[in-house]
Amino acid sequence: MPIELRINGTTHAVEVTGTATLLSVLRDDLGLTGTRYGCGIGRCGACFVLAEAGAGAPGSGATAVASCLLTAAQAARMEITTVEGLASPNALHPVQDAFIAEDAMQCGYCTSGMVISAAALLGRTPHPTEDQIREALATNLCRCGVYGRAIRAVQRAAG
Amino acid sequence: MPPERLEQRVAIAPDGAVTAFSGKVEFGQGIRTGFAQIVADELDVLLDRVTVVMGDTDVSPHDWGTYGSHSTQQEAPIFRRAAAFGRSQLLARAARRLGVGVDRLDTSEGHVISGTTRVPYGELVGDEPLTGVIPEQVAFLPEGRRRYVGRAMPRVEARDIVTGRATYAADVHLPGMAHGAIVRPPVRGAKVKGVEAKAARSMPGVVTIVHDGDIVGVVAERADQARAAADAVDVDWLAGRPDEGPDADIPLREDSGIDQVLANAAMRHSAEYVLPSIANAPIGPSAAVADVTADGATIYGATHRPFGLREGVAKRLGLAEERVHFAPRMSSGTYGRSSSIDVALEAAVLSKHAKRPVHLQWTREEEFSYSPSRPEVTLVVSGGLDAAGTIVAWKYDEHTANVHTAGWFDPDPERAGGSQGRNAIPPYRIPHLNVVLHMEPTPLRTANFRSLAAAENVFAIESFIDELAHAAGTDPVAYRLRHLDDRRLRATIEAVAERSGWGRAPMRGRGLGLACTIYHGTLCAQVADVEVSADGVVRVVAVWAVVDPGFVINPEGVRNQVEGGIQQSASWTIYEELRHRDGRIAKTSWDTYPIATFRDAPERIDVLVAGDASQPSTGVGEPGAVPTAAAIANAVFAACGARVRELPLRPERVRAAIRSLP
Repeated sequence: MPIELRINGTTHAVEVTGTATLLSVLRDDLGLTGTRYGCGIGRCGACFVLAEAGAGAPGSGATAVASCLLTAAQAARMEITTVEGLASPNALHPVQDAFIAEDAMQCGYCTSGMVISAAALLGRTPHPTEDQIREALATNLCRCGVYGRAIRAVQRAAG
Repeated sequence: MPPERLEQRVAIAPDGAVTAFSGKVEFGQGIRTGFAQIVADELDVLLDRVTVVMGDTDVSPHDWGTYGSHSTQQEAPIFRRAAAFGRSQLLARAARRLGVGVDRLDTSEGHVISGTTRVPYGELVGDEPLTGVIPEQVAFLPEGRRRYVGRAMPRVEARDIVTGRATYAADVHLPGMAHGAIVRPPVRGAKVKGVEAKAARSMPGVVTIVHDGDIVGVVAERADQARAAADAVDVDWLAGRPDEGPDADIPLREDSGIDQVLANAAMRHSAEYVLPSIANAPIGPSAAVADVTADGATIYGATHRPFGLREGVAKRLGLAEERVHFAPRMSSGTYGRSSSIDVALEAAVLSKHAKRPVHLQWTREEEFSYSPSRPEVTLVVSGGLDAAGTIVAWKYDEHTANVHTAGWFDPDPERAGGSQGRNAIPPYRIPHLNVVLHMEPTPLRTANFRSLAAAENVFAIESFIDELAHAAGTDPVAYRLRHLDDRRLRATIEAVAERSGWGRAPMRGRGLGLACTIYHGTLCAQVADVEVSADGVVRVVAVWAVVDPGFVINPEGVRNQVEGGIQQSASWTIYEELRHRDGRIAKTSWDTYPIATFRDAPERIDVLVAGDASQPSTGVGEPGAVPTAAAIANAVFAACGARVRELPLRPERVRAAIRSLP
């Protein structure tokens, strides 16, 4: 079926099946491969995107959702921001800058999802406590073990 | 080995861009950044002018694999000499061109300078590349001229990673590309008797059904179509016997008369330590894109062994090796798992039959169920002490299994001691030592996993030395120092004891535990601060680490690696165990195989990088993960008096140990 998706401020017309996930459409149809497959059941955070209902400024009031659990058809009613759309034309998102400054990554496979979760957290809680950061990112698994650095990065981004 | 040549290592383009070539691969351990720092400094160019091409079989120098934290140790001296040699050639060319002596010239940021004249490197290279055998002796820039080496640098891939632009194997998209899915056997070792694919063949999007030797799979237009069709393929499997691997006893050290010394010792102590099989569990499941044509094959993917992958794919497809090109992409950390080239072989076979490029990414379930994993290990130790508590004899038996995926087990004691018997010999002064490696068949596919057997051996050795210290009524730090001659390891232990406040009165339910290692030349000592609840829940509150990897290229990179090693190893130690039955893995998701999360991360991991700058640079990818399990288990003992010798430290196991205390 034909649907329209709002991704990173742009409208994309795509033809999808009823069961196609937002993740597969992002990656295989729209070439937005920064959103990554990790588990397919929303347990690892690698495929997180920001989603908010209806139109609005991407990033504010948005929540981090697993794009592997959302069908593309469901996402058609939302404003979606992927990791590629997080930065403004002239500057990285503060979370992205902070992750670089803290070297809060190793292999980087989980980083997109972590950055998305952190952006969602700071959107609703500009100055989170460490416990709030740990809770907000608890679904973002990292095997390389950069949790401590990522916590410091979110704190740095919060200023 | 033929001598290393400059043109295989460093190239300068007419626009001055510098490309450095290594056969090693980047998995997040930061070697690309370290190599770029070295080349930029010795060539005297800005870091952003340097690109490091890694593991590309068409252009990288041949390499046996990215293993054992050897990359920096092996490559740093070569890159340093190559870049310095390149700079000397540029100076010589400029001297000829300007008609002045080399001693009147200098370099600065990619230019040769003579007074106010600045000649860009690119102009000096033109269409005449820098070439020649890299000499053993070459003049380096003075230390004070270094801009990058020795300084904390962010990794060069950082911006691409945080913006999602970084391209991993699964992100490769080729024109005409189809998607693959594999039909898996019910148990390991099963053979294909017959394939019934009539229903699958007519399913939406199906391009072809493949049955080629041990590989049965589907190629379809979309990944979900391939998966659905693969599930509809009916394979008649012939159950095979999954156990394999060598059955051998390999003595690594046999001091004569040890039984006599043990029998006569004033005090004897024995213990058995058990570590379960654990999953490498990369966050990114294995992936590859293969483009196989009649002429050759290109594989996009990730592996520890680019040239081994090329060889394996060539053999499987019946192509000459030079017809196969492995083009690496960014890799999820796999910590040894992708020593196996399984996913590349599967993608290549699917592409060959589909006559189209094929994208294959394993599902999370496949990654848990069919990936190789770390084998189970049992370590049996006996020690004998004299009346003063000093160790006089140490008998050690390591029971483990071959690592199938690397496929190079060699029963020669020297080589077996460097692989499956790695770090089985303790670093302590022991007059009578007996160490035997017992290789036993296993029903599982086994993988290299971050330090091979060293993490397991060091868990046993560093737990046991702690037990001996307590048996001798001595502080564990003092006891270790009493048995250690290695100056650098002693300094590392003393430093971590000081930083962690070793000896301070612990809070109730809390304890400190220390462990140390010398791993492939890198020294690392750690102290864990652990809380144990009455019902056996172990929480790592903090870990202090001191690491001495010789001359340090990127201190921030070192810190990050050691922190990550500690975090990952803490996860193995407290949570992880892969269950299997008859060659079948019984845990296939993050729900049933939990790893540490943000909630479990210690409050602090404090890493002091105390490299001895007079010593060669050694690796840090693995050493940080090696002593952590023993540091935690020793801290558990300090906290509650229970000595837990089997991992993971699950609450019921720790609780049982606490309840069985006298």
